[in-house]
Amino acid sequence: MIHSLKIGIVASSDPLAHVVQHEFITIGGFVITNHMIMILLAAVLMIAGFIYIARQKTMVPTGIKNFLEMLLVYIRTDVVRPVLGKDTDRFIKYLWTVFFFILTLNLLGMVPIDGILYLVTGGGVDLESQHRAFGGTATANIWMTGALAIISFFMIQFNGIREQGMGPYVKNFIPHVPLPLVPMMYILEIVGALVKPFALAIRLFANMMAGHAVMGAMIGLIMVSNSYAVGGVSVVGCALFSILELFVAFLQAYIFTFLTTLFIGAAMHPDH
Amino acid sequence: MMDPIILAEAAEALNVNAIGAGLAVMGGAFGIGKIGASAVEAIARQPEANGQISTAMIISAALIEGATMFGLVICMIA
Repeated sequence: MIHSLKIGIVASSDPLAHVVQHEFITIGGFVITNHMIMILLAAVLMIAGFIYIARQKTMVPTGIKNFLEMLLVYIRTDVVRPVLGKDTDRFIKYLWTVFFFILTLNLLGMVPIDGILYLVTGGGVDLESQHRAFGGTATANIWMTGALAIISFFMIQFNGIREQGMGPYVKNFIPHVPLPLVPMMYILEIVGALVKPFALAIRLFANMMAGHAVMGAMIGLIMVSNSYAVGGVSVVGCALFSILELFVAFLQAYIFTFLTTLFIGAAMHPDH
Repeated sequence: MMDPIILAEAAEALNVNAIGAGLAVMGGAFGIGKIGASAVEAIARQPEANGQISTAMIISAALIEGATMFGLVICMIA
């Protein structure tokens, strides 16, 4: 009975298949994957959205403008200004961009675009069975989060050097220790400076990938068990888990922004 | 006497990746449990500091969860 229901949305019982990239189209020799399309979509949404709210005619925002302005003001007042103080306006552009980019990508990953396309076209556009995909979570891709972490790394180091000058920066890199310990402290601090952005990348990547893999596994249980009871429980469980995933989407964007702010502040004004 | 070949086959059959993932999650859950306990106790002592304590709790939990995820990723890809 269950096999006669054509569920094009759950074509594979491998939970990781929903998380990794799939090609969408191939132009010439260049493969365009669903993560690339999601990144482009997030960029377009952000540009369009923020130009829209920047052009408001009244001082008091309403609706979606109110929500976005609430997030913007919260990030600037409660996350960036306590740490950076007078340098807030220099870095707030990058930090706002990072926060909303990660948030948009995470939330776009929660929208089942392939499933909606399948349902709306009545089974006409079945990307799943062709092993192609249009939507997905681009932050569940280590290369994407790695790229964001590399940009943060350069922001941290360049601004630390620019603020203090090269000599004082190298001198203040380590806390004050007796001379025999200095080489070891330099090695430790250099490893620390490389590990911190790596941790940023892995934290975001693993949270997003694990969340979607767990949901894929829960839905895969339905296929494996072939029973309606398991199906009901699984769908309810997935719905509740999705609420947790929405919270994690906001939290991970906030953590990435907050930690980048802390590292930039520590590089510019070390309190050793 | 445990034959090394039998040991290797047992390790393969046991799917040691999953055991590693379970241990990583156990460590992370223990740490986050301690954070939750001390945060709730601190709020009980001083309810006015509710906002600051909750913010610090969420940030610490996310950082520890990051470390847990390192272990999970290693278990998943190997």
